[in-house]
Amino acid sequence: MKSVATTVVTAADAAGRFPSQNDLEAVQGNIQRAAARLEAAEKLAAGLDKVTKEAGDACFNKYPYLRQPGEAGENQTKVDKCYRDLGHYLRLINYCLVVGGTGPLDEWGIAGAREVYRTLRLPTAAYVEALTYTRDRACSPRDMSPQALNEFKAYLDYAINALS
Amino acid sequence: MLDAFSRAVISADAKTAAIGGGEIAALKGFIAEGNKRLDAVNAITSNASCIVSDAVTGMICENTGLIQAGGNCYPNRRMAACLRDGEIVLRYISYALLAGDASVLDDRCLNGLKETYVALGVPLQSAARAVSIMKASSTAHINETNTTGTNPVETRFRKMETVQGDCSALVAEAASYFDRVISALS
Repeated sequence: MKSVATTVVTAADAAGRFPSQNDLEAVQGNIQRAAARLEAAEKLAAGLDKVTKEAGDACFNKYPYLRQPGEAGENQTKVDKCYRDLGHYLRLINYCLVVGGTGPLDEWGIAGAREVYRTLRLPTAAYVEALTYTRDRACSPRDMSPQALNEFKAYLDYAINALS
Repeated sequence: MLDAFSRAVISADAKTAAIGGGEIAALKGFIAEGNKRLDAVNAITSNASCIVSDAVTGMICENTGLIQAGGNCYPNRRMAACLRDGEIVLRYISYALLAGDASVLDDRCLNGLKETYVALGVPLQSAARAVSIMKASSTAHINETNTTGTNPVETRFRKMETVQGDCSALVAEAASYFDRVISALS
């Protein structure tokens, strides 16, 4: 998985050389940028359940038809699964913020998602609505610092685009 | 291959938990001490050829049978292979130290190393001894406690320009990677 130091190490290993000055500089650059990302990850982890609930509520408010018989949220079990999935997406965004790349979202969230949702006849628009609500609801400095918020929203946008 | 950050992700995912609290604090520590880590890696890479050649020389001095006819460092071709392997091991240790995780060392260097050496007839004890000398000199370089040793006019002697003891936290970590190699060979 691409992360703060792995890209540099992979390149150095492919060339069969010790980490060069450039490699060390590159890692240092990644490390300096990591502070804002870790702040966002920390704040998101602390409020994960609350954020998940708000996002799910927003989604069912916008699309109340989902609760009708024959739809994706026809009973409580299915509704709970919807909230669980949103929790998964936010948890993967938390991971992305830690490693500083989209690897976790790509590998565990987006790969195969379209096929699964089509087979289960789930509307991706509902997920998009929930994540969009989260993105627009998050604000600085109430939730986190501006730089951290920027990182957080970038990954939300990435998930939204992948599901749209 | 993983580093300290992706390692946290993999272990959190196994528990289906978000990364917060203590794990974030540990990663923040990694960031705060980042420059020291880079200094420690630099201490190894800048002195790599010295560390490797001293370790192989030391190993042979303790067991001169290695360079007599029939020994495993005789002729030059096999001695060269030995120096090359020492450098490869040190290189993967420097990667592990840079990444803050041993997975690169395990996957790309140690996996099958013992079996290969057994098949090639390389004496594991001597190899482990060379690694332990590399451990001693690398940690001395990182910790700034290296000396000229018994040779007062050692021309290759070099001290890094960092503050002495500044990288002491990294010494233990670097030593653990050398120990990993030694235990993989024994």
